[in-house]
Amino acid sequence: MIRLREVSWTYPHAVRPSLRDIDLKVAAGQLVVLCGASGCGKSTLLRTLNGLIPHFQDEGVLSGTVSVGGLALQRAELDQIGLLTGTVLQHPRRQFFTDTVAEELAFAMENFGFPAPDIRTRVTQLSAQLGQGGLTPGTSLGRLSGGWQQRVAIAAAWAHRPAVLLLDEPSSNLSAEAVDQLAQTLGQLKAEGVTIVVAEHRLRYLQDLADRLVILCDGAIAAEWSAAEFRAASDQRLAEQGLRGEVCPAPLPALPATGASLVQPWPEPCSADPSALPVGPSSGLELDQVVCRLGGRRVLDLAQVRFPAGQVTAVRGVNGSGKSTLARIVTGLRAASGQVKLDGRPLSRRTRQRISAIVMQDVQRQLFTDSVQAEIELAASGRPDSPSPAAVLDSLDLTDLADRHPLSLSGGQQQRLVVATVRLSGHRVVVFDEPSSGVDRRHLGSISHQIRQVAASGAVVLLISHDEDLLALAGDNQLTLRPVADLDLG
Amino acid sequence: MLAVSLTVMSPDGSRFVPAALVLGAALALSERAWGRAVGLPLVGAALAVGGWLAPLWWPHPLVAVLALVCSFTVRLVACCGVGAHLIATTSPTALSAALRAMRAPRAVAVTMAVMLRFFPVVAHEAGAVLDAMRLRGLAGAGRLARHPILSLERFTVPMIAASLRASEDLSAGAILRGLGSRRRPTAAYPPRLGWPDGAVGLAVGGLVALTLSVPPVLA
Repeated sequence: MIRLREVSWTYPHAVRPSLRDIDLKVAAGQLVVLCGASGCGKSTLLRTLNGLIPHFQDEGVLSGTVSVGGLALQRAELDQIGLLTGTVLQHPRRQFFTDTVAEELAFAMENFGFPAPDIRTRVTQLSAQLGQGGLTPGTSLGRLSGGWQQRVAIAAAWAHRPAVLLLDEPSSNLSAEAVDQLAQTLGQLKAEGVTIVVAEHRLRYLQDLADRLVILCDGAIAAEWSAAEFRAASDQRLAEQGLRGEVCPAPLPALPATGASLVQPWPEPCSADPSALPVGPSSGLELDQVVCRLGGRRVLDLAQVRFPAGQVTAVRGVNGSGKSTLARIVTGLRAASGQVKLDGRPLSRRTRQRISAIVMQDVQRQLFTDSVQAEIELAASGRPDSPSPAAVLDSLDLTDLADRHPLSLSGGQQQRLVVATVRLSGHRVVVFDEPSSGVDRRHLGSISHQIRQVAASGAVVLLISHDEDLLALAGDNQLTLRPVADLDLG
Repeated sequence: MLAVSLTVMSPDGSRFVPAALVLGAALALSERAWGRAVGLPLVGAALAVGGWLAPLWWPHPLVAVLALVCSFTVRLVACCGVGAHLIATTSPTALSAALRAMRAPRAVAVTMAVMLRFFPVVAHEAGAVLDAMRLRGLAGAGRLARHPILSLERFTVPMIAASLRASEDLSAGAILRGLGSRRRPTAAYPPRLGWPDGAVGLAVGGLVALTLSVPPVLA
């Protein structure tokens, strides 16, 4: 079904090729996993299989031949390739083009000119399959949890019945339960005879589905494991290859808290009395009777919670449970009733903005100057107790990049730069928002180390993440939220 | 929306601004967007005062400049009021299907659908960059007044970079699913004109007739 012969690809202005002499054959109905460290060429290889390389690139050099279902992709039109392949990108929400589940399912079929009755029949059929979990065709895509977004994206990519399905790190933003659902979905598609290629860091959920594992290193195929070899490989052997193993829910102790937004109020479900909470050190960030409403709807309700200074609190919960709202309230970006106190002192919104920082998932949004050095100088607080910029740059492996433009750095380097600005500015409250999306085991360790360093400086650290591996490495305790209204589809 | 923009932005378009504001407020009421329904006429009235009455009360070069800005901004606000209804109530695929049904060229239908989908992306990224600037102490009226060029640069560069990154995924996903291909697209539910369209048409016709039959309020 898929055949690559001596394929090499060099991005425009790149010194080295991103793919080197790739020879790969995938038979019809097989599920093949592409894995390897971040930047090894997994996503690039997927882009050669769906024709985005070379058709969606202005320049670049492609050699060798790529064929899917007998179609030579270099000479084919993108819509021909689109009929043959379905693609699910790493962030499904970014690829959604419409507003509702039914519209998204119909999108490809409408563009490819399927007859209207056929489209309606197929949308009804797919909606019925998705509806077994409570989804309706009219459900807004913006209200879906990460797991549901992934399932709708897969259904939308598969709606026009392509022979090949390509998935780019489909589990990267999913909780352990959602990863199990993803495995079930892929199993059903494989049973229907679909050829599937998955680029992935987390591997264990695929071990009963995969026919082969292809390990990439620096753009070349370093090793291929059969299904039996893959199943027999220990987590330690995966770790030696920089790969992630079993995904297990991180067993973190629950933070004492009360409020309607909590999955399991502490210590008893019926307890709402703040005096029942244990008396701990007053150092930390305390939320007292905080309620936030949006459009008349209660989106967050926390009667009492204290985030300890010097510790990392993992904030978990499905989409719509109020994690982002909580982050915006503690950093002063959103108003809410109730009080927010630091070390026992009430803080105004403006003060909270001054003492807080967020490391966003897309860190490009928070790089404002034209060089790494200028970014560091802008952030330096100048306080006598703040660390020296040179030492921070050195500890984050950024010294050699001081003259580079921040937007020219890789994603990981940009993230380290933002962490450097946070450490230099001496913020007392720091929120990390999904910092490990799509990173390998080695970088996961590095990110976890950075988060721990920020906490070690005495800051209150909130870590919003679905990544159980990261939570297990970096978290000290957890606060699990749930939607206050009955809107949860996760 | 296109008709309102073309009319209001034309050389003699300011006389149609009150009608466009009324239309925008009525459409907001129909979708129960109370804030917009109230805010649109209020903002329009405030800008009209700044653009037409203020120079009469206080003839001064600075007031004249302010009046010029207000008189142009009120036209933009009137167009945005109607455009906001389109964005809030119409999905990109529904708009594309409607334009195709009206025999609009494919390039126009696809471009309008992409624009409609891209607006929320840009708005989301702009909001996130502003949040990041607030937390770094780089936002605020005082800083903008002291360093206007630098502040704008610090806002626009990351906003454009983040928007481009988001738009790349969006366009790659759409093109692979046939958007803009040479095939003839279809619609699962082909759009048809109904009685609400007739009612809106009559209301717009009435507003235009009323505007033309009375002396211009804003000119």
